[in-house]
Amino acid sequence: MPQSIKNGSSRPAGWGIVPGGATSLARELPIVLAGMGVFYSVIAFARYWSGPIGSQAEISLHPAALPKYALFSVLRLAIAYIFSFVFTLVYGYVAAYNRKAERFMIPLLDTLQSIPVLSFLPSVMISMAALFPSRQLGIELGSILLIFTGQVWNMTFSFYSSLKSIPAEMREAALAYRLSWWQRFWQLELPQAAIGLIWNSMMSVAGGWFFLMACEMFVLGSRDFRLPGLGSYLQTAANAGNMRAILWGLVTMIGVIILTDQVVWRPVIAWAEKFKVEQVGAAEIPRSPILTLLRSSKLLPFVTRSFVLPLREKLDLHFAKDHETRSVTKGSNRVPQWALRALGVVVLAAIAYAAAKMFSILATTSAAELRHIVWGAGATFLRVETVLLLAALWTIPVGVAIGLRPRLSAIVQPIAQIAASVPATALFPIILLVLIRAGGGLGIGSIALLLLGTQWYLLFNVIAGATAIPEDLKEVCSTYQLSVVERWRKLFLPAIFPYLITGLVTASGGAWNASIVAEYFHFRGQTISTIGLGAIISQATDSGNYRLLLAATLVMAMIVVTINRLVWRPLYALASDRFRLEA
Amino acid sequence: MSSPIVERLRDAVSQARWNEAVALLQTSAAPQAAEALGELPFEQQQSLFRHLPLDLAAGVVAQFPYYHQYVLLHSLPAGEMRALVDKINPDDRMRFFDELPEEAWQRLMDELSSAVPADTSGRHEPETARVPEPKLPQPGEPIIEAFQIEKSFEQPDGREIQIIAPMDLSVESDSIFALLGPSGSGKSTLLRILSGLTAPSSGSVRVHGQPLASCAPNIGIVFQSFALFPWLTVLENVEVPLVARGLEHPERHHQALEALAMVGLKGFENAYPKELSGGMKQRVGFARALAVNPEVLFMDEPFSALDVLTAENLRGELLELWIKDQIPTKSIFLVTHNIEEAVLLADRIVVLGTHPAKIRADFRVSLPQPRDRKSAEFLIYVDYIYKVMTQPELEPGPFTKLPSVRKPSFQVLPHATAGGMAGLLEFLNDRGGKEDLYHLAEELLMEVDDLFPIVDEAVMVGFADSTQGDVRITPAGKEFAEADIAARKKLFREALLCRVTLIQQIQNALQRKSDRAVPLEFFRDILDEHLSQDDVERQIETVLNWGRYAEIFTYDSETDRLLLIEASGTANSNETVPLH
Repeated sequence: MPQSIKNGSSRPAGWGIVPGGATSLARELPIVLAGMGVFYSVIAFARYWSGPIGSQAEISLHPAALPKYALFSVLRLAIAYIFSFVFTLVYGYVAAYNRKAERFMIPLLDTLQSIPVLSFLPSVMISMAALFPSRQLGIELGSILLIFTGQVWNMTFSFYSSLKSIPAEMREAALAYRLSWWQRFWQLELPQAAIGLIWNSMMSVAGGWFFLMACEMFVLGSRDFRLPGLGSYLQTAANAGNMRAILWGLVTMIGVIILTDQVVWRPVIAWAEKFKVEQVGAAEIPRSPILTLLRSSKLLPFVTRSFVLPLREKLDLHFAKDHETRSVTKGSNRVPQWALRALGVVVLAAIAYAAAKMFSILATTSAAELRHIVWGAGATFLRVETVLLLAALWTIPVGVAIGLRPRLSAIVQPIAQIAASVPATALFPIILLVLIRAGGGLGIGSIALLLLGTQWYLLFNVIAGATAIPEDLKEVCSTYQLSVVERWRKLFLPAIFPYLITGLVTASGGAWNASIVAEYFHFRGQTISTIGLGAIISQATDSGNYRLLLAATLVMAMIVVTINRLVWRPLYALASDRFRLEA
Repeated sequence: MSSPIVERLRDAVSQARWNEAVALLQTSAAPQAAEALGELPFEQQQSLFRHLPLDLAAGVVAQFPYYHQYVLLHSLPAGEMRALVDKINPDDRMRFFDELPEEAWQRLMDELSSAVPADTSGRHEPETARVPEPKLPQPGEPIIEAFQIEKSFEQPDGREIQIIAPMDLSVESDSIFALLGPSGSGKSTLLRILSGLTAPSSGSVRVHGQPLASCAPNIGIVFQSFALFPWLTVLENVEVPLVARGLEHPERHHQALEALAMVGLKGFENAYPKELSGGMKQRVGFARALAVNPEVLFMDEPFSALDVLTAENLRGELLELWIKDQIPTKSIFLVTHNIEEAVLLADRIVVLGTHPAKIRADFRVSLPQPRDRKSAEFLIYVDYIYKVMTQPELEPGPFTKLPSVRKPSFQVLPHATAGGMAGLLEFLNDRGGKEDLYHLAEELLMEVDDLFPIVDEAVMVGFADSTQGDVRITPAGKEFAEADIAARKKLFREALLCRVTLIQQIQNALQRKSDRAVPLEFFRDILDEHLSQDDVERQIETVLNWGRYAEIFTYDSETDRLLLIEASGTANSNETVPLH
């Protein structure tokens, strides 16, 4: 029985006061407590924010400080996420509906996505510090914006493509029945984008954890920025080589991630079931105890009924009337054409100025630096491709083996998901320690780190691909007694090919971006680095060499975009053209 | 040579012993009876014919050639004639209608539609207890009028492709308007222009005399794909347009529930669309459209996505709501490719032609509701529409308003496979080589949209003829149908190379190249000049299918190139073209 029916019929009929009772109180208690907790932490954070700059340099390695640090980090991620969400809605909306803007907004997004977080660091930090010179707020906002640049782009892409894929007839229904933009947004556009947005939000937040260490503690020229948080705790512990503290930090981080998963993502995914347009083979409906708790709660519907619904009703009707009157007095409210043109000219001028400035800076790049960048790019390229190859080598057989056995997959998948949710950067200090003891350097270490960060995309995609192989095709293989090699060549490899490509595209982009933390690391009071483009970017940030930073970033963005266009896109087209299993 | 029965018949008729004459005919089989009747002087034939019981008359009259049948029928008063036509067995009746010349057919049609079937039991007491003349819907006031609307799209390379040729249309009150045409004829685009969803490239649309752009017409739309919001419950879906109109809570709720009750969905308010079957989903679509009490209800292929029985049921219910005036809607505008559906529902039918869309016929259906699919008049309309649709070169018939239709200068391949055509030809051959298109569609359970392209393909390569709503196999087609696979390919190849321009172009281009290969892109560009993007893709798909079947060329998807097949067989067959 679909959950939606149960939900619909179990709604209390009246608008009355919440009925009491011990059981219901026990049920409501967690919700009330959670609400109070959020309220308190916001207050605490606000007080800390408005305080003066000063105490930030001290990061206590005592485990007792961890809850506070974890809270700060979570709040930072949450605020960055809210920024990302708002940005996503606005940017995606404009790109999807304004054909002229779309033409440059989407390639721009493509490019921004390929720029690693640290490259945003100097400009973000300097502008924020300039905006709020004497308050903690400036540096905090800078850190949040950094996290934002790490998680926003894929969400925006997802929202944009969801808007683009709304069926024409649904759009026409909205038009024919004269829905206001407000109603259209809530009843058509946001629901259509919901599932994609949720999955991309999860990926984005995971990315936020991955780059947290880099975002909470960094050197910019002569200034040393440290913000209280889990990332800076781990970084400080690594710097000090304090194994106990590293482990404490790691355990806390994993705990927080699992808790977020249970408290936020699972309920949201289970709730989002209703936004699935088609239920194809819905053998397993996502469930969440928290969602069940919320749904059986009496407090929440009460709040909904007495505040949310009336408010929504008011807003709906307000915008509907607004829309009615406006559609009769056509277009009187619109921004005049000349204003839009003027805005366009201003934006173009700004871009031209920035480009000119950029080239004047780049022109001073010395031949030695250029050589350095080219070598670094080559090294990182080889490293990334090695990582992809290694990841493919182990994930393809393992993934297919898991995917072909539903029972095994039911056991392995949840474990793998937890393993995948641990940010590789947090494990890095431990890996480095082991490697250094074993006599290896960062050359191998960076490959291990990149592998840790990117292999999961591949594994999950391969499992999904193997699960999707139709039973009859497997039966054909057994009927004609195909050998193992033949089976792989004729069935498994072609069948997982589209999935493999999807995984590789994500992994490749991710690996390039992750090279900035993998190739350059502060450990035990010293800086360990290896040759590579990521190391150049990190080092340029540290030393405040903006020219080098700019050049290296441009090279990286160009490489990533070019590889996407020349390698992944054709492969993707081939995959969806030739190797798709028609249902 | 006159048989004894004819002698006795003459005898009886000359002395006005009608009962004896009727008994004589009743003892003979229909062909003999007809032969005997035919021997009488014409005045006597008519007199005797008037005295025949209905069944006998129907059996006998069908034996005569169509002109004789026509005259005999006209010896009866209009009401009796209609009853008799209804009695003739459908096959014979169809053949009769097919053979009638256009004008005669038209007159008969008018007579039949204005007549009321006579009470057959009171056959000998004429002019008794007539049923009052049924009220036929009269065209009312125009609600939406379109003047010289035209639509064209710009290709990526800047060329304009005309989708709809300039035309006038008006949607009138108190009538159901059906727009009929093959797929890709632009009928959905026309609906969108009239409903204000799309602006025409030129021309204007007025609602009650006001420009469409400046007023918000009160319309409802039912979509082929239902277009329900899957994340909203049934009730919320129906409330969507009501919220947009600023209706407040209790009233809105009430109105939505009323609309749901009207379409028989009471009790499903809290279900989600994905829990419903296709038919129920479309009911929600209807409820949503009717909830706003629309003045004009637009329906874009509303029954196409449903199975036959569900569609029939829903159609009937809609018609009932309409006839009994249970909905405030003043006019219904239906887009469909189903001929029977159009004749069943519509008071007025416009048939569209393709490339670009233009009006091929525009006529009223003067049959009272509810309509009987098996009645003669119904079949005449169906047959007529088949004729119009299958013969682009057909001179405008009795119902068409527009002057002759220009033949497109560019040969567009029908979107059908070689295998489909082979199946059709085998079927036709088994049926003696000739079949009525209407029957063919019925027996093969195919929609017009699927059948017509196959017929067109057979006609294009000269394996069949299609006239007057019939399809007839040609000698070449018969040879093809009876050949084995290798011979079929050879026959098809020869036919293609001598009749199909695009295939000729491709072969010429391939032969001129030293490597016998040409990128497909080259031919795409040629087609781009004449057709829209989607049509080009369909043409390419078709030509690849035909060319590969005929083994003229093959296509390498890896390099996107066409390669000439130079089998020795091809060369030989080119030299020894059969001389028939």
